[in-house]
Formats: sequence, structure tokens, C-alpha cells
Amino acid sequence: MKTIYPTAILDYYDGVLAFEGRDAIGGHYIGAAVKPEGGYDRYLITGARPERLRQFRSGALDLLTLLLEAPGGEWYIALTKSDPGNLLELEPQAGNIADAGELLPLPGYTLDDSPIDDLALEQALARNNVVFEFAAQPPESAAAHRIRMNTLGGLLLQVQQVVKYAHQNAVRELSDSAKRSIDTAGGYLMDVVVPATPGSYRVIMEAAQPPDLFGYGELARALERLDAVFAIAGHPDAALEMIQNYRGRLAGSFIKLMAFLAVNHTGLEYSWAYPSAKAARYGGVSEAGARRLTAALSGSSHLGREPVTLVGEFARVNRSRGDWGLLTDDGIKTGVIADNGPSLNGLQVGKIYRFDCLEDTELDAAGRERHTLYLHSFEAA
Amino acid sequence: MVYAAMLYREPLPDDCPPDAAEEISEPRIVYRLVWHNPPADCDFRSQLAENPDLVLHYVTECQARGLSVYLTRADAERRALNGRLHGAMVGEVTLNRGAGRIAKTGTRSHHTWWPLADFNVTQNSRVV
Repeated sequence: MKTIYPTAILDYYDGVLAFEGRDAIGGHYIGAAVKPEGGYDRYLITGARPERLRQFRSGALDLLTLLLEAPGGEWYIALTKSDPGNLLELEPQAGNIADAGELLPLPGYTLDDSPIDDLALEQALARNNVVFEFAAQPPESAAAHRIRMNTLGGLLLQVQQVVKYAHQNAVRELSDSAKRSIDTAGGYLMDVVVPATPGSYRVIMEAAQPPDLFGYGELARALERLDAVFAIAGHPDAALEMIQNYRGRLAGSFIKLMAFLAVNHTGLEYSWAYPSAKAARYGGVSEAGARRLTAALSGSSHLGREPVTLVGEFARVNRSRGDWGLLTDDGIKTGVIADNGPSLNGLQVGKIYRFDCLEDTELDAAGRERHTLYLHSFEAA
Repeated sequence: MVYAAMLYREPLPDDCPPDAAEEISEPRIVYRLVWHNPPADCDFRSQLAENPDLVLHYVTECQARGLSVYLTRADAERRALNGRLHGAMVGEVTLNRGAGRIAKTGTRSHHTWWPLADFNVTQNSRVV
């Protein structure tokens, strides 16, 4: 018997009204609720071409038309008898689907038919995913539709870096039970899906990981925190005070992004949305704003360093250079003495110590992170 | 499952309604599909109250114990075209202080409403 697994809930009213699914070989399906039977939810299901599904998701096509286009005229009924998470078994139906009578929706059942003047929300609905888009205005784009490769590449790397640490920062505040109940690994990752929409340097990205069935993903958690950090852009006079709330890697990545924008003479505007959002959310900073913030936050690079505590065997040392190595459970960690940090004289190789450090993170040109540990204090453990 | 105090029309699981749900304090109109004219008490039963043995797929128990409503009449009318909801009428419900809590869930104007037990649903609704 043919089986499918649901991938997205497209409409909901006291239960699922329409959903999208896939079969084992990647074929697309649409499921439409019909009257329940024997206490089970019941769905009429057909195959669907991806482009027509997209049109249905964005409100340009009604459900009846989509169902009547069933490839090969094949249609099925499925009951939600199995346990959640199991595949849905499709029962093939004889006869023409057009004669399915009350099982079919009435003409005009669309997900929405009102115009959306909001690019991020429109894309989020069409893709059924969390969508993030940004636009840059570097000098070279003023005269023609162009952008320096380094600027575009740098923007992508730096923005992804801030979103990554925004996600870490937001997840840290969740309760232990909430952390256990959701899969947060890699939830900050974005894929570029439209590199530059015509007429702008608007780059559209979506969550690399599929969202939940209502379209909400971990990326949204990260972007909510991104909004909070970008609120600093509107208060340059209070920037130093506000950035304290995000001290550590999130503050560090934000400060570096502002410096990058200032050096490359561009502002950054963004918006993002998830399918069930009321509207897209917006944020950004002008070029002048990035310069003001960079000036305001200069000399506060320590705020961008993450407190890290290491416990392990003092494995190696160069006392004249101030380099050290500590063998921890995660392998050898190396670092240097912070400005005004302690002397390494007196530490004995082979003994166990606890090192309190601040870690700085830099991105290289390939987007790899390079971490440097600065030792601030130690004690025997 | 441990249930919260019976303040709501239906027993709700822990942490339900979610923190993001807004307590209704100002009058507002929402739209719900109903099967009786005038609307009857049974038009305001959640899917789990209707079918306690329902195996939940894709939604949490908290959402399944809430009532779907729309902020716009057009959204509600459009859903009545779905095969499962053939024959339903659009009911206008006036929510006042004490009506319970409400949160945006799903797309566009869909919300989930968790009514308080003391809120008289039939007195505050009519078919439109």
C-alpha cells in the first residue's frame, strides 16, 4: 500500500484542513480534510505538481482545482488511525475524482486571496518556511546593479554569524525541559534561495532545516533575538549599555558586523517572517548608523568575548611568550595571557588547574571560526 | 497528564494556554463556524472534547483543547468551503473581559481561543 508522510500543515481549523506530504521517492501530495469517519480524521489525497502546490500555498489556486489535476487521475483516502509520526496509508479509490461529490471542497477554497505587499511574508507563505531577506546599498550599487564579491560574501558570512550567536543566546534562556523537547542543533543555518532579486541587492534566505508542521522553525527563535540586538542601532548613545545584555559571542559578532558595514560603506536592511506570522518584522542599520555604532563600541571588544572556564592538566607553556596549553576532556586547549592577566610563573606542568578565560572568535575569509583564549585567572583544581 | 485548575471550559494540560496567549480584556469580535442557529453550546466544543479518543496528529494537546476562531468573517467563510466543514455557518462571537485567552496560531487571522468556564458562549454569539 502506498504511504506518505505529512511535511507541512497548510490550513487548520479545529484540526488539520489541508496538508502537504511526500512519499518515499520524493513525490508531492496534497491532503484535504473530509468528514471524519469512526472517530478518525479522514483525508482525500492526490499527487500534486510542486509548482501547482506553490500556487495553492500562495493563494493563487484553489484546492478543488489542485485536487482535480491529480496526476493520472489517481486519488486516495487516508484515515489518521496510526500513531503520530507514522506514515499515512493511502487507500486507492476507484472512479473519477470529479465524481467524488461531498468529499471534494467547494470552488473558491483558497488559503488566502488578499494581496500581500510584504516580500518576506509572501516568501514565507510560498515556501512554508522561515524566510529572512536583507538588502545592502554599497557605493558600487548606486550606478548599476552590482556589488563587490567581497562585500556580498562578507555580508553573508557576518550575518550568518550574528544569527548563529543570536540563536545560542536565545536557546540559553530556555528551561532544561524546553531544551530537551526541541532539536536546536543547526537551527540557525540559512540557505540562500534568491541571490539577488531584480532591481536590488535583496538576498533571500530560508531556514536550512525544515520547520515544524506549522512553519515555525528554530531560525525564528534566532531572528527574534536578532531583532532585539539590532534595536541597539536605533540608540547609538545607549549602545554600550545595551550591548551588555548580549555580551559574549553575540555582542562580538554584532560589533564585527557593524565594523564590516562601516568599512564597506553600506547599511543593511532586513525583514523576516514565518508562514503564520501576522506580518514580517523589520530591522537594520544605515551606513551612518553603523559608523556611529562602531565608534560608540570601539574599545569595548572585551564585551564580545565569551567567558570560558577550562579544567585540565597544565600540558605546555612558553613563559616568555605567555602561551599555554591545558589538556581538558575536550582535548588540548591553547591560549595566551590576557592584558593584565596573571603570570604563568609558578604553574607546574602536569598539575590540574582551573583557567578562567575570555574567548575571542574571528571569522577568516573562508568563513571558518578562529578562537583565541585569553587567560584572566587560574587556581589549582 | 497533570491538569491545571478547572478555570477553563475544558481541562487543559500544564503550560496551557501558552505564555504567548493574550488574556482578553477588551471587547472584540471573532468568527467561528457553527452548526446550529442560534449557536448552541456544542458548537463551542474542542476537537478533543468532541472526540476524547482522538489520536492527535501534528498538533499539541493544548491546541487541540482550544477553539479555532478567525478575526475576519471572510477567513471563516472561506473555510466553510472545505470538505470537512460543508454545511457550517459563520457565527460572530463577542469576546469580553473574562472570555479567556487567545493566541495567534496558524496562518493569517486564525487564532486559538481557550474560553473560561464562566464565559457564556451562547449568549455572546449569533449566526451572521
